[in-house]
Amino acid sequence: MITPPVDSANVENAILAALINDAPLQALAPDGVWWDSAGEVNGKPRTRYVIVSLIAHMDVAVFGGRGYEDYLLLIKAVMLNAASVDIGAAAHRFDALLDDPDPLLDVPGFVPMAMFREQRIRFTEHDAENPAIRWLHWGGHYRVQVAIPT
Amino acid sequence: MAIQTGRYGQVLFDPAGTTPVEIVSLNAWKASFKTAKEDVTCFGDTNKVYVPGMKDVSGTVSGFWNSDPAASPILFAAADATTPGMLKLLPNSTTPEKGNFWSGLAYLDAEIDCTLAAPKVTGEFMAAGPWTMTVGP
Repeated sequence: MITPPVDSANVENAILAALINDAPLQALAPDGVWWDSAGEVNGKPRTRYVIVSLIAHMDVAVFGGRGYEDYLLLIKAVMLNAASVDIGAAAHRFDALLDDPDPLLDVPGFVPMAMFREQRIRFTEHDAENPAIRWLHWGGHYRVQVAIPT
Repeated sequence: MAIQTGRYGQVLFDPAGTTPVEIVSLNAWKASFKTAKEDVTCFGDTNKVYVPGMKDVSGTVSGFWNSDPAASPILFAAADATTPGMLKLLPNSTTPEKGNFWSGLAYLDAEIDCTLAAPKVTGEFMAAGPWTMTVGP
C-alpha cells in the first residue's frame, strides 16, 4: 500500500496555533510566538516572546511509504532580562500544553502518537550590541510523533 | 531487469489459505530456504562430502504495532490459529515487479516489543506446505 500524501507543515502549524491561541501564554509572552526568530514589527523590538524551531526530523518508513514522522522541536520563551519576570511562568505554560497533553494535539492529515518534553533548556545570552543587556531563554526540546493513517 | 528497492516490499496473508491480502505497517521480511545437508564423508575422502536433505522454509516479518484490522491483528490472530494460512512475500510490489514473489502455506507466531518508542511487532513463520518462487513477466 502506497501511503497517501500528507502535508508535514501541518504539524508545525498545529504547534504554532496551539501556542498562539492560548490566552494565558499570550499574557505571559505578549510579543507573540515566532518560527525561528522574532523580527521587529513597526520598528518596535520584541522583548517577551516564544520561539519554535525545528531541530531534527525523521521519516520512519514502512513498506510503501512513510509510517510515521518524528519531530524534535526547540520551543523556548525568550525575554529581555528587565522584562523577564514572567519567563518561568511562560515556559511552564507551554510545557503544560505540550508535554503529554490529553488529548493529544490534533494535526490535520495525521494521527497523533506522542508529544513530550525530552530535555529542558535554560541559558542567558548577552546582547550582541550591548553586553549590559541580557536575554533569558527558558524552554525545552519537544518530541512530536505523528502517524500516517492506514 | 535491474536491482529493485525494498521500499515497496509487501507481506500478504490469508488465514483461509487462498487469497492473501496485505498486512500494513510492516517494514521488513526475511525468508530462509536452507536445505539440510547430511555428512556422508567416507574413509579415504580428501574432504568432507555432503548430500542434500530436506529444504526448510522459514523466516520473519516485522514492522510497527498498528491496531488497524489490516495490520498487526492479522499476525496475532494467525499466531492463535490451528490451521496454516497462505503467506505471500514480495520484494517489490510496484507494477512491473509485483509478479515476483514467494508464497506458500505457513504457520505464524507473533511477538510485540513495546518500549517508549513505537512498539514493534514480529511474526515468525514456518512452512506448512510446499512453497514456490514465482518469477513474473
